[in-house]
Order: sequence, then structure tokens, then C-alpha cells
Amino acid sequence: MSTARSPSTRRAGVPAWKRWLFRVSAVFVVLPLFYLPAYFHSQELNRGTKGLGERELGEIAVGPWSVRFAEWRVEQPFRNGEAGYAKSFTLALCDTCAKQVKAAYLRVGKPRNLRAAGSIFFGSPYRQSVALPIPERVTADAELWITLEGWDGSVHQAALPLAEASPITIEWLSKRGNPT
Amino acid sequence: MTPTLRRTSATLARALAGGLLCALAGAAAAHNPVCTCESVDAQRIRCTGGFSDGSKAPGVTLDVIAYDETILINGKLGADSTLVFNRPKGEFYILFDAGPGHVVEIDHAEIE
Repeated sequence: MSTARSPSTRRAGVPAWKRWLFRVSAVFVVLPLFYLPAYFHSQELNRGTKGLGERELGEIAVGPWSVRFAEWRVEQPFRNGEAGYAKSFTLALCDTCAKQVKAAYLRVGKPRNLRAAGSIFFGSPYRQSVALPIPERVTADAELWITLEGWDGSVHQAALPLAEASPITIEWLSKRGNPT
Repeated sequence: MTPTLRRTSATLARALAGGLLCALAGAAAAHNPVCTCESVDAQRIRCTGGFSDGSKAPGVTLDVIAYDETILINGKLGADSTLVFNRPKGEFYILFDAGPGHVVEIDHAEIE
């Protein structure tokens, strides 16, 4: 004759640490669910369904060409190893100039020449990214300079205030005590 | 160790390894050029180049350029990823050039 054991009898045979291990594992299963909204947001951003970046600045004329420019994430600059702090921006070349532009560069401050044009954007013409180094001594009135180099050798530039490109970076600079 | 405990430990170890890989993936995504220059003495300057992931840059170009764009010193980093040169007269800047869009520019006024 078989006898059915009640749940309390079954629990009695399980060591306490195993019961706690079960509870902790349940927490580990539930915990990632809280990060799902951020995860789906990142996925949409990476796929491009949320646009060029979290904060799009619109069309910027660069000589005869134009780019759509965006702050990739509305967050303060990130630590980039020994290179100091960096901030990610994205751009998309205009439809007519996608085949004419060889490279796009971004720099804090006006470049002296094409060789020192700053960090190069990488990616397809429809969404290129750059991790722009933020110099330690940068001031709040600094400008970002976009340089476009054409396959025909022509070089065109445009500037936009850092305060317009990334207000959160200005807040971060102010907290760090950089001159405003 | 019981089989259940062994399985749990293995799962936990895999989860930790996965988490670690995810954390390191961000760090590995970008490696910007890094360059620092300092005065060795009143006459000489030492520049050290590399990348943000900690790798060295032996053989990479480091030019010393006057404000009028004349190249004063056309140097390359040594095996120890450094270059020592005599401080030029007048105003100049140093360009660590690891390729198009991978440059670091240091003005003479920033060298201490």
C-alpha cells in the first residue's frame, strides 16, 4: 500500500540551505524582468527603429552636403579606458551625398587641418557612429566641428555648440568644475 | 558534492562567465588612441603613445608640427612606445597619428 506524503512532510526532508537556494534562484529568474524595458529600448535603438539616436538634432548643412546628427544616448560621457572620457554621437549622410562622402570626422574645437580633423565616424552612410573624446579642459562654450571629406578631395566643415549637441555633457562639465 | 549542488554550481559559474563577457564586451568595443607628453628636462620632451585598451603603439607616427604646419620632427614611437625629442623653439603641437581619424593632438602649452 502506498502512502501519499503531505507537502510539509516533503519539506521536512529538504535541508534548509536547499530551500534558500530555491528561493534565491527564483529571485535570479525574476530580477532580469526589471531590466526588460531598458533592454528593449537598447534593442530598438541599435536596430534604428527609434531613430538615429536618443536625441536627434535634425539636419545640419556641411558645405554642399548635409547630415542628420544625433546624440546616441542622453547620458553623461563614459570612461573610455586610458583615453579619458568619451561621448557617442551618430550621423546619417544625406541621400544625395552618401556616395560622394569618403569620411566624416568629429572634433571638439576647430581642427587645424584634415589630418587632425578628429575622430572618424564608422558605419554605413545611413548611420555612422563615433566615440568622441571629451578633453579634460573643455569649456561649456566649446563647439563640435563636423568635417566631411569627399571622394573628390574636397573638405567641408560645420560647427555646432556642444551645449546644443549634448546639454547633459554641459551639466557634467559643470559638476566637474570645468569653466562655463 | 551532490549532483544537484554540482549542477547548480555549474549553472552559476556559466551565468557569472556570461555576465563577465557581457561586461567586457563594452570595454572591447572601442579603443581610442592615447598619447601623453611630459618634459624630461628643460630641453627634452617625452611622449608615450598607445590605445585605450592598454595596448602599446611601437612604430606609430608622432609628428611635431609648427603652428604654420611645417613638420619639425617626423618621428615614430620606439619599441617601448615612447619618443624623446628636443623641444623645438616657438609654438608647436604634437600629433600622434595612428591613422585617419585616430589621432591625438597635444599643444605645446599643455606639456608640463
